[in-house]
Amino acid sequence: MIRIESEPWAAMVAHAREAYPNECCGAMLGVIGGDKTGGDKTDGDKAVRVSMRLENSYAGAQAARYELRPEDLLAADKAARERQMDLIGIYHSHPDCDAYFSKTDLQNSCPWYSFVVLSIQKGEFHHANSWLPNFDQTEAAKEELIY
Amino acid sequence: MAKILIPTPLRQFTGKQDSVVAGGATVGEVLSALTTQYPDLRKQIFNDEGKLRSFVNVYLNDEDIRYLGKDATAVSDGDTLSLVPSIAGGSAVAPPENAAPESAPPEEITLSNDEILRYSRHLIIPEVGIEGQKKLKAAKVLLVGAGGLGAPLGLYLAAAGVGKIGLVDFDVVDFTNLQRQVIHSTKDVGRNKIDSAAEKMLAINPNVRIVKHEVALTSENALDIIKDYDYVVDGTDNFPTRYLVNDACVLLNKPNIYGSIFRFEGQSTVFAYEGGPCYRCLYPEPPPPGLVPSCAEGGVLGILPGTIGLIQATETVKLILGIGESLVGRLLLYDALTMRFRELKLRKNPECPMCGEHRTITKLIDYHQFCGVPAQEPKVTEGEIEVTEVKAKLDRGDNFVLIDVREPHEYKIASIPGAKLVPLGEVPKRLDEFDKNADIVIHCKSGMRSAKACGILKQAGFQHVRNMKGGILAWSDQVDPGVPKY
Repeated sequence: MIRIESEPWAAMVAHAREAYPNECCGAMLGVIGGDKTGGDKTDGDKAVRVSMRLENSYAGAQAARYELRPEDLLAADKAARERQMDLIGIYHSHPDCDAYFSKTDLQNSCPWYSFVVLSIQKGEFHHANSWLPNFDQTEAAKEELIY
Repeated sequence: MAKILIPTPLRQFTGKQDSVVAGGATVGEVLSALTTQYPDLRKQIFNDEGKLRSFVNVYLNDEDIRYLGKDATAVSDGDTLSLVPSIAGGSAVAPPENAAPESAPPEEITLSNDEILRYSRHLIIPEVGIEGQKKLKAAKVLLVGAGGLGAPLGLYLAAAGVGKIGLVDFDVVDFTNLQRQVIHSTKDVGRNKIDSAAEKMLAINPNVRIVKHEVALTSENALDIIKDYDYVVDGTDNFPTRYLVNDACVLLNKPNIYGSIFRFEGQSTVFAYEGGPCYRCLYPEPPPPGLVPSCAEGGVLGILPGTIGLIQATETVKLILGIGESLVGRLLLYDALTMRFRELKLRKNPECPMCGEHRTITKLIDYHQFCGVPAQEPKVTEGEIEVTEVKAKLDRGDNFVLIDVREPHEYKIASIPGAKLVPLGEVPKRLDEFDKNADIVIHCKSGMRSAKACGILKQAGFQHVRNMKGGILAWSDQVDPGVPKY
């Protein structure tokens, strides 16, 4: 489960609306709550405390594509460490399209983070989902998202 | 010794440490030492072949090792290594490497037990499966033209379970269509093609939703019609519509699955797919009017549109499923006589006025004007003569010359007694066979070629040249039904 606090959530929605009709992208910083028992790994509850806008560096039309620069991701990771937080996830928007995890999303994802997709329809926020891609980038499981 | 920063999700494999220290003279050695120390980390970073996973980038301090010495990049004490995933994505359109624009999340689509039975031979192919069949059901495909190419396309895409198929056609079934347009039957002659086609498609698969657009696709309505579909399949037979379909597809970012046919040869490719070329990259300008004959003028082997239409159908289904290697960037050429397929590489033209970097065409234009073709057949009154009048002249024994400018094989099918055969291509060099002051009437099959021949003669100084209106088809209708129409 991933919970996005109201402040970062509002910032993410504002970012997605501003970028419309293009896709926006950014990083989510926060904490992974509670000790996990039984050695089971990533499914501890996650709380997003800070969102960080990152530049969509996709070279072509950005209405249906985004790309993150690894350097920016590195900076986001650094920012998280400085705040005693973790880089928990990546968010991006789908203008005029559902918040599903597309094949493009899947093939260019990684299994380490939560991927939050915000659907922006006609410039307004519509709905959002969080996804957890698998190792081979063939499937993404839906993660409970609370905002 | 180098410090390795561990991303949050991997800390579970390093005893929750956010950074660890490992020795080695190069990046490769440090990573090897790291994964020896924390074996569970290996699977996260390396694939089964021991190579870095595709999404993993390694940074030495602030530099990507790909731009340094890769694995062999030297590492000094105090250096920091970071593991950074490469992340990208996008909503509707997949990357140029062949994946599909996914129109709807397949999870919202379900298959009934009847459908599961019907599509069973798809479902047991691993590349299709339930998910693939749902993608087909979610897909919306527009077929422009329910003729030669549209016939196999309509039948097979309906059978394959494409959820919504739009048809654009405003023509009527004619006897001459039946030799190739297998979606129409003899009893359909005289019916609207769109109704005849929809009926056959629904008979094959009642689960398909068919939307009829019984109009001519025009600059005014094209965007409105196409916007509701994911894919457009071009089965048109004329240049104005072909450019119109191309431009509308580029403007709306819809893949255009293209096919064309002539006599024994056909072509197919996929245009306007992200990263790929469009029709204008291949043909920036239309050919001069009249240079490339249509099927009605030049003829076509009836089976040919079956072959090409099914290549288009295959490409459409592959794009929907997101499998295989599509024809984006490749023009497939087929010659039925030699039974050979060839392939030409198509490149996106950076200067393309439609899809290039500096687009100069931002809206749909007048395509008839662009192609130099009048929207309707010109009503040439001057220099025309009715078939009945020609008959009367023959009956009266008037002194005039009747020239037939069709090809010899057409002459064998049907001819008018007394007409002299001079195929259009030979007209310019055979002008001296005729008297410039003679009364001349020229005919062909329908009046198009004879109009050109009239032009040639008039330019050469012939004084009394007239075009027989409607050609031998009109002759059969109005004078002698014994002359077969073809």
